[in-house]
Amino acid sequence: MNFQFSPEDEAFRAEVRAFARDKLPASIALDVKRWHDPLMKNFRAWQRILSEKGWGAPHWPKEYGGSDWSPMRKHIFMQEMYAAGAPDFGWQGLHMLAPVLIAFGSDAQRERFLPPMLNGDEVWCQGFSEPGAGSDLAHLKTAAVLDGDSYIINGQKIWTSDARDCDWGFFLCRTDATVKPQRGLSFLLVPLDSAGLTIRPIRAISGRSDLNEVFLDNVRVPRENLVGEPGLGWTYAKYLLEKERTASAFLYFNRRELEKARAIARQVPAGAGRLLDTPEFALKLARVEADLMALEWSVLRLLAGEKNKYNLDAVVSALKIRGSEMQQRVTELQIDALGPLGIRHFQHGDPDLDDPAKAPCWPDYAIGSAALFLHTRAATIYGGAREVQKNIIAKLAFGV
Amino acid sequence: MDLSLTEEQEMLRDGVRRFVAENYSFEMRRSLVTSDLGYSQAHWQTFAELGWLALGLPEDAGGLGGSLVDTALVMEVLGSALVLEPYASNVVLSARLLERADNRELRARTLTALAQGRARVALAHFERDARYSLSHVETAAIRQGSDYLMRGRKFLVLDGTAADQLIVSARLGEALGLFLIDRRAAGVEVESYRLMDDTRAADVMLQDVEVSGSSLLMSGPDVPAVLEEAIDRFVLAKVAESLGAIEAVLEMTSEYVKSRIQFGQPLIKFQAVQHRLAEMFVEVQEMRSILYCGLAHIDAEVPERRRAVSAAKVVAGGAGRLVAGLGIQLHGGIGMTEEYRVGHYFKKLVTMDKLFGDSDYHLARLAASAR
Repeated sequence: MNFQFSPEDEAFRAEVRAFARDKLPASIALDVKRWHDPLMKNFRAWQRILSEKGWGAPHWPKEYGGSDWSPMRKHIFMQEMYAAGAPDFGWQGLHMLAPVLIAFGSDAQRERFLPPMLNGDEVWCQGFSEPGAGSDLAHLKTAAVLDGDSYIINGQKIWTSDARDCDWGFFLCRTDATVKPQRGLSFLLVPLDSAGLTIRPIRAISGRSDLNEVFLDNVRVPRENLVGEPGLGWTYAKYLLEKERTASAFLYFNRRELEKARAIARQVPAGAGRLLDTPEFALKLARVEADLMALEWSVLRLLAGEKNKYNLDAVVSALKIRGSEMQQRVTELQIDALGPLGIRHFQHGDPDLDDPAKAPCWPDYAIGSAALFLHTRAATIYGGAREVQKNIIAKLAFGV
Repeated sequence: MDLSLTEEQEMLRDGVRRFVAENYSFEMRRSLVTSDLGYSQAHWQTFAELGWLALGLPEDAGGLGGSLVDTALVMEVLGSALVLEPYASNVVLSARLLERADNRELRARTLTALAQGRARVALAHFERDARYSLSHVETAAIRQGSDYLMRGRKFLVLDGTAADQLIVSARLGEALGLFLIDRRAAGVEVESYRLMDDTRAADVMLQDVEVSGSSLLMSGPDVPAVLEEAIDRFVLAKVAESLGAIEAVLEMTSEYVKSRIQFGQPLIKFQAVQHRLAEMFVEVQEMRSILYCGLAHIDAEVPERRRAVSAAKVVAGGAGRLVAGLGIQLHGGIGMTEEYRVGHYFKKLVTMDKLFGDSDYHLARLAASAR
């Protein structure tokens, strides 16, 4: 075993760090720090900057504009991007859809969709969940019927992140109701400005409205918007999740937010000193950090391709469980650190926030944590609820 | 020991239940959240007419002389419906401070007005850098003849926006004084905002406020102990409110998992879900028990009172987070939405955990008082 990053890797880390320092606009980093919601504007702008550098989608094959970085390099890249306060990556398009198009799409689809995805001109959302099919995805009902050269789609999707601000969606639809539920699903690409498609934002307890309902009423898309074979949508959906095995650890987010908790505790007064100097809080933070360090090495073990005697999907579910709970713990640390400063409902875009005279009692570090803490309650629900992940482990690791 | 309610207490509780059933549907609540005041002036008048404001106030000042048990009964029901009116901050926190004031004239006049719904009084004590320390007061009152000039900044004043009067703590030389000042007095500036649980609070800037000598409620070495006792009573009332909230979460969650079908059957058929409900049930039981423990010791000697109240706050904080967190979890996506009730309980319980000493603070206080 060699646990070290190579000198070349460390040089690469320095290069990424310098790039982020020079090119990441301060206004974007501030929005990320405050967890403000500029409606994909920041993502698009930053994606353009990244793609100009050739770093828009490092995980893609080189021929489509990706890099040939090793998994460790991609890891270093993500660490540095998050640490610098760059916006979240376009998970749904760049990380979920693109690998499916690359593996199963047609040449025409790759030519049409990958370039604008890479430079941030077209942003994608994922339409899987339905009101009656959350964790039980195989039972989704939205139907697509072939009519000449078009599919006609009818149904409803829900919890569609960012749909209002995206251009396209990839939807799982039922094209065959006569076969086993998993076999009758197809993977369709739908422009969100289609006639008959309506998007209704859902306001979350965090105060944000980034989740949406998407209603499809006789939405017509050309037949060539089908990805791969009809009836194989379930297979592709599983493939896209497998391509992102380590993503569910939310490692880079968790590290950044743990450091934010530490930074808050360094500033919050407690008695004669600062909160971080009190053993109570220091130990509490250390307890979370110990688990985060373990999570980091769980990701590294996967990235390094370590052989594991257990079923890999069970291992990935363990990562999802720990990674999602970690999101709740690191943001909870922030509001614990803030104490009474953590319970104000800050309105996004509240002009008072930039005017210290209007909010003399509210330091900048108090902004954003409460909403983010509320937001992360969803982490153990989406992408396969915690209870479902536990069932997967029981089944795949122990053959239950 | 007899833990049954008296007939009067049952009537009281039924009355509050009737009120919330008729007036606190989730939609009605939402329209109050977005209103200017943040709650209903009409409801406040109803509280006055039904005697709920007078309930725990002393009989010699227009009150009914009820115990904290009576108030806790009301709070439990208010908590179950996420009621927004600032009941406990007025009738427990401010009223207790007024009740124990040395200034008898101000005491009688203000308590009577409070009982009748004619005045709302908010405590402006905490300052930003105090965190939870009760003794950290930088606001100063400077004597000028028989009057005072007050200067300072108060933070997170519950219901500070709508209150007519403020009880302000200030340094008087080495000691502390509690003053009753008009919120609209010259030099008083109030910046209000919403908390996570949709109730309102305010920062209060006191810029050379002229305060007459007759506004001094009390001063001297007893003030910190009086403040602490009033806050302990308030904390316990909020624990009762939290209990009502988590019991409501348990009930609505158990109903939901009975009706929600996934993988071909109601969620409640899954043992994993049954165990989650059972864990929530355990927490609800323990929270009711620790509330009773607190109520049993609220009038005891100071160390026993501190132990019981801090234990209640700690247990309530943990139970609240766990039960409401699981409530969201078992509801799935719908539990994350603003238009559904369960997430609001979570916000309420987290907010309560962070006010008047979080779990860490009360754990330390419990440890210190048990030493």
